[in-house]
Amino acid sequence: MADARPTIFVVDDDASVREAVSNLLESVGFDAQAFSSTEGFRNAARPDAPSCLVLDIKLPGANGLDFQEVLARAGISIPIVFITAHGDVPMTSRAMKAGAVEFLMKPFQKEDLLAAIHQAVERDRVGRQQDAEIAVLRSRFDELTVREREVMDLVVEGLTNKEVAEKLTISEVTTKMHRGQVMRKMMAPSLADLVRMSDKLKTRDRG
Amino acid sequence: MARDLIRRYGIASVFVSTAFVCTLFLQRFFPYPFLFLFFAAVMASAWFAGTGAGFFAVLVSTPVVAYFFVPPYYSWAITPTAVSYFAAFVVCALVVSWVSSARRSTEEALRDARDQLEIRVSERTAALMRTQTELARLSRVLSMGELTASIAHEISQPLTAVVTHGQACLEWLSGSPPNLEKARLSTESIVRDGTRAGAVIARVRALFRKEAPVKDWTDMNEVIHELTVFLRNEANARQTSVRTELSPALPKVKADRVQLQQVVMNLILNGMDAMSGPDARAKELVIRSRREKEDQVLIAVEDSGAGLDPETAEKIFDPFFTTKPHGIGVGLSISRSIIESHRGRLWAMPRPSGGTVFQFTLPISAEDSDG
Repeated sequence: MADARPTIFVVDDDASVREAVSNLLESVGFDAQAFSSTEGFRNAARPDAPSCLVLDIKLPGANGLDFQEVLARAGISIPIVFITAHGDVPMTSRAMKAGAVEFLMKPFQKEDLLAAIHQAVERDRVGRQQDAEIAVLRSRFDELTVREREVMDLVVEGLTNKEVAEKLTISEVTTKMHRGQVMRKMMAPSLADLVRMSDKLKTRDRG
Repeated sequence: MARDLIRRYGIASVFVSTAFVCTLFLQRFFPYPFLFLFFAAVMASAWFAGTGAGFFAVLVSTPVVAYFFVPPYYSWAITPTAVSYFAAFVVCALVVSWVSSARRSTEEALRDARDQLEIRVSERTAALMRTQTELARLSRVLSMGELTASIAHEISQPLTAVVTHGQACLEWLSGSPPNLEKARLSTESIVRDGTRAGAVIARVRALFRKEAPVKDWTDMNEVIHELTVFLRNEANARQTSVRTELSPALPKVKADRVQLQQVVMNLILNGMDAMSGPDARAKELVIRSRREKEDQVLIAVEDSGAGLDPETAEKIFDPFFTTKPHGIGVGLSISRSIIESHRGRLWAMPRPSGGTVFQFTLPISAEDSDG
């Protein structure tokens, strides 16, 4: 899944630039999908493959920087490479702070654009892997009963069975039983693995 | 010179002779001779032929009067009783001659002064026209300055496309086997986008053009359309929607295209500025064109801004009046003078649904001053 051919989305209201960028991306072997507006991009189906967005700053309606925020608020995480004819320092810093991969001035060099796109795609690939991993963990976690989740939370904090039993006012035997179920359902080979899984579940939201 | 002299003294002689003959004739009916005719001759000589001729007339009249009309008649002698009479004649003749010629030269000086004044006025008017043309160009350059970002965008878009297509073309060619069809398509795009960049530059240069106004048959719809394309990025940047409602059967007008472009551009930029405030109203600019009263074309630029209060509305066309923090206040006054030089009218009025309408008319007829 994560090895599928990357798709690059291009949003630029200028047909010439849109076509040119798509042409360049195709010539180096990417799948390119171009849109004249952010609406077009939002309505398009995104394949389940690493992707990134090449976004023009000056757009009709919402500008590129605002759209970056819109996407972030909507929980759509796609790495963005900005292209603009006349950026300035505040614009650049705003884009980069909000997590843009690169901010390129038109006319840009092929190497710069491709380097940025590779970096963005890589970021998306890693993100997608993490997401996939977390999704698996999440589904396992969802299998746990309420009591098992309580036990897991306390165990990963480093409490002994006895301490857990006291805290939950249950017997140590019952605690051991719940703990065994947690390890089995989460498919954790050791306590250290369970702690790592718990961390991943807690830091679910990536940039 | 000599000829002129002869003419002048000739005129004096004719006047004096006429006076002499008439007086001789009148003497038959009245006991006392009427010398006033000699005064008239002196006055006329001084008036028409100058001071010299006036005194010459006095000089000729004096012996004639002494011989014919001062007792004893037909004799050079003068009776003692007639001495005062004769002396009075001479003095009066001299005074008349002097007054007449003085009056005449005053009048001439006055006429000279008036002619001079006329020449200077027309010189100053010409200089003023040159200044105004220069000022119009300057304001055009200034408003172009405001648009630098837009122009840069307009040029760098096709340029980016050219560079990028070129790089893609190289990629298509370097494959094995090279993809010639894709390379050809890329090259076609390069040609198209390069041409577009050139057209943008030509448009910018036309707006900066420093030439005397040239009036030609101009399609105002075309002018408006070009400007909306040109200002599209500016409108986007200001999140303003620009709509046009152009009459398809708009007749052409005899006008200077660059100047009218400037007027419409001023009105559009003003409209956008009027909507740049923080209020949440939808920013919409509407440009209309239509035929008005058979012989006129009307162009209107409507904004949905805050509108003008009556006090400001009166002053907006004054030179150097501005409501903008960085404006110099020449745009509208220049626009109005351009429209007036085309025998049209430019005015502002409130828009019923809020905002302001700036509109101008232009006559369709070909008969036109070069003003």
